[in-house]
Amino acid sequence: MGTALSLRDISKSFDGRPALADVSLDIEWGKVHALLGENGAGKSTLMNIAAGLYAQDEGRVFFGDTELTDNDPRHAKSLGIGMVHQHFKLVFPFTVAENVLLANPKGGYGRGLAETKRQIVEQSGKLGFALDPDAPVDSLSVAEQQRAEIIKVLLGGARLIILDEPTAVLTDEEAQALLSTMRVLAGQGNAVILVTHKLHEVPAYTDVVTVMRGGRKIETIASKEATPADLTKMMVGSALAEIKHRPATEHGVVLEVQDATLGRADGAGALNGLSMQVRGGEIYGVAGVGGNGQTELAAALIGLKSLESGTILMEGDNVTAADTRTLRRRGVAFVPAERMAYGLAEDMSVASNYAIAGVDRGEFGGPLWTRQGRIAATTQTAISQFEIAGAAPTTRAGLLSGGNAQKLVLARELREDARLLVVHSPTRGLDVRACAAVHRILMEARDRGAAIVLISEDLDEIFKISDRIGVINRGRIVGEFDAPADRHEVGALMVGHA
Amino acid sequence: MRQETAGSVPSVRHGVGRITLEVRQRLPAWKHGLYLATSLGVGLLISVLVLWASGVGPKGIYEEFVLYTFFNAKGLSNVLVECTPLILVGLSAALAFRVQFWNIGLEGQLILGGMGAAFVALNDYGPPEIRLWLMLAGALAGGALWTLVPLVLKLKLNVNEIISTLLLNYVAFQLLQDRIYGAWQAADRFPHSAQFDAGIERLSRIGFGDVGTGIYVALAAAVVVWWLIDRSRFGMFMTFVGSNARMSKAVGLPVTAVVAGTVLLSGALSGLAGFVVVAGQEYRLTAGFAGGYLFSGIVIAFLARNNPVAAVVVAFLLGGLYVGGQSIQVFYNLPAGVIDLLQAIVVMCVTASELFVRYRIIWRRQ
Repeated sequence: MGTALSLRDISKSFDGRPALADVSLDIEWGKVHALLGENGAGKSTLMNIAAGLYAQDEGRVFFGDTELTDNDPRHAKSLGIGMVHQHFKLVFPFTVAENVLLANPKGGYGRGLAETKRQIVEQSGKLGFALDPDAPVDSLSVAEQQRAEIIKVLLGGARLIILDEPTAVLTDEEAQALLSTMRVLAGQGNAVILVTHKLHEVPAYTDVVTVMRGGRKIETIASKEATPADLTKMMVGSALAEIKHRPATEHGVVLEVQDATLGRADGAGALNGLSMQVRGGEIYGVAGVGGNGQTELAAALIGLKSLESGTILMEGDNVTAADTRTLRRRGVAFVPAERMAYGLAEDMSVASNYAIAGVDRGEFGGPLWTRQGRIAATTQTAISQFEIAGAAPTTRAGLLSGGNAQKLVLARELREDARLLVVHSPTRGLDVRACAAVHRILMEARDRGAAIVLISEDLDEIFKISDRIGVINRGRIVGEFDAPADRHEVGALMVGHA
Repeated sequence: MRQETAGSVPSVRHGVGRITLEVRQRLPAWKHGLYLATSLGVGLLISVLVLWASGVGPKGIYEEFVLYTFFNAKGLSNVLVECTPLILVGLSAALAFRVQFWNIGLEGQLILGGMGAAFVALNDYGPPEIRLWLMLAGALAGGALWTLVPLVLKLKLNVNEIISTLLLNYVAFQLLQDRIYGAWQAADRFPHSAQFDAGIERLSRIGFGDVGTGIYVALAAAVVVWWLIDRSRFGMFMTFVGSNARMSKAVGLPVTAVVAGTVLLSGALSGLAGFVVVAGQEYRLTAGFAGGYLFSGIVIAFLARNNPVAAVVVAFLLGGLYVGGQSIQVFYNLPAGVIDLLQAIVVMCVTASELFVRYRIIWRRQ
């Protein structure tokens, strides 16, 4: 069949943080190639290099016999490399045909549109699904929008089709339909790359699978020879659980969640009867593949979303209906996953961001006068204590690097009297030093008796600092383990069908 | 709109031929000021050229817009009269914009403020000694009331406040018409209300031309707003909510209350502008007393970057532009639209400076 895409010794780092190290990969025509790995394994970065969105630091990219130097998205597209991104690139409120035409302009608007409509009908027929070219894209379901994206890429002349986490947003039936479509495409002689972290999609729908972990390629094997156990092992690594440096001290139950349910905007359940119990002085690690209800769990615990049913008890009191303000007054702290969206106001100063919660509590003067001098002085102390590099109280928070921004959030949230800490992906995007600092800070809070819910998609992190681990899958805790837990058991529950 | 990040993402580039725009990570304050001053200068230069082309020479421009406006007692007093309500609508817009509530209903709120004051004055409510204070309270209440519906619609149903506040301007104008052609119409049968009682229901003069005590009201309001924004706890909440509402919510701030309080206050300030116009300048309700303040208020808040102190300065300068504009209309026979044109030119130039603030522009040679 021949090689479609060949990536040779690709390395790429962002601000000195390696994302890819010496990755080589060959993609063949006529096959569906799965690229499997946990979040942050480097899958998307690698594909973005192939599609010309990023330039590699080192290494070479070949498409057929041509070497792609100075690759850019337009060049990649002209050669026939098409990528369907995780976040769709559709323009609302235009129709499917108009979106396709926008990406693939031809002649005049009127004739071009008529021709495009004809092609959409023809192409969707070939792929075995129906897509109305006149439907406005915002009236389509997520699955239909994805089909529009695929048609757009195909009509752009793509022969190598990269799908980045395409099933993450789909229901099971929709995912199956999509995976069948991919088989049809490969059967027509195209090459298809399926970027995924869902193990069960590999054996049934792909020919070859490459597993990545930590920016490196682990192995490429034929899908039918890959057992789920092997793949899990390759994905999560075989590192043994580390011994806890100190067992948690016993405290009473701080948080209890009973049968929590919460729907998503698209009607699918985000939390489906989730129950958990967290004691003071312990770190409860919530392990799971992204999109299994972690975001909703965090939002519910901090009062940003209210449960549809179920109960949340805090130190025995029912706080199910409490809002964020009330919960915070009770000693709930929150370190959000998207720290620039929910953790910091990036246009405001480090001092304001640090002090805002304290200002609310009246620590910096009464309602009539805010004592800016005291804020600056206290912030300066926190900057040294938490080692926030490159920050003065007046620095704009948006200028801090990821690690320092995270330390700033932690400095604000980790007060002496914090009872419950909801921490979501606290080390995402941080370098090793910053990670270690964040973990140390969390351990210290634990030793002061706080209950910590650590929600993370990074298994290493979960294993490193959790005292107990709960596996979240499809909106419920499907298994709990005391540390040290068996990594493969946890991994299997994470990716398994619950 | 904003693509700048703290460095982890490679700078976004837009290729336009050989010109490349790169997102700036950081810009020193003095450079920011320099770009702003340069763009303002360019705007004024274009304005001068436009006037010149319309037959007002450099000497005329200097005399009308500088000498007889700011360096002449008559002119200066007129500027102060002109800028009194401008300060208030500017503050009103600046407050609402700070919490990202696009209050385009300044004029409606100003009308309701004027009507609130007139309601008290025409019905002779309360003892004469405190009548003015009651009128002031009526104006504050009227202006605040007129933001209530858009506010509730926005907070409960997420209805776009730009549309709702804008449309309520027309409703307010019709209400005014209803009063001045109806129950409140003066005995002379002209479309205006009866006059407010002299000495009781009118703001007194301060002894400098026609300038009334309204200017003190406006300056006091500016001090209050400055204190509120810069020094009070509520102001810090306000700035956070305007900067990142999701984060403010997650950190436990009472976001809804902050937005509601700010917007009601914004409406009250516009209402106060209505008060200083009807009680300090017109001495009655007239059909056109609110005309033009919507646009001016937005321009002031925009040029002042929602800063209350800067709003006073901008309102003063804008007052000068209007006073100078009135005399060139008379002496050079130019249409009133010329003044709007000059205003628009300056605003556009200042807006354009944003490009240079946000991006570094690089010319690449092939």
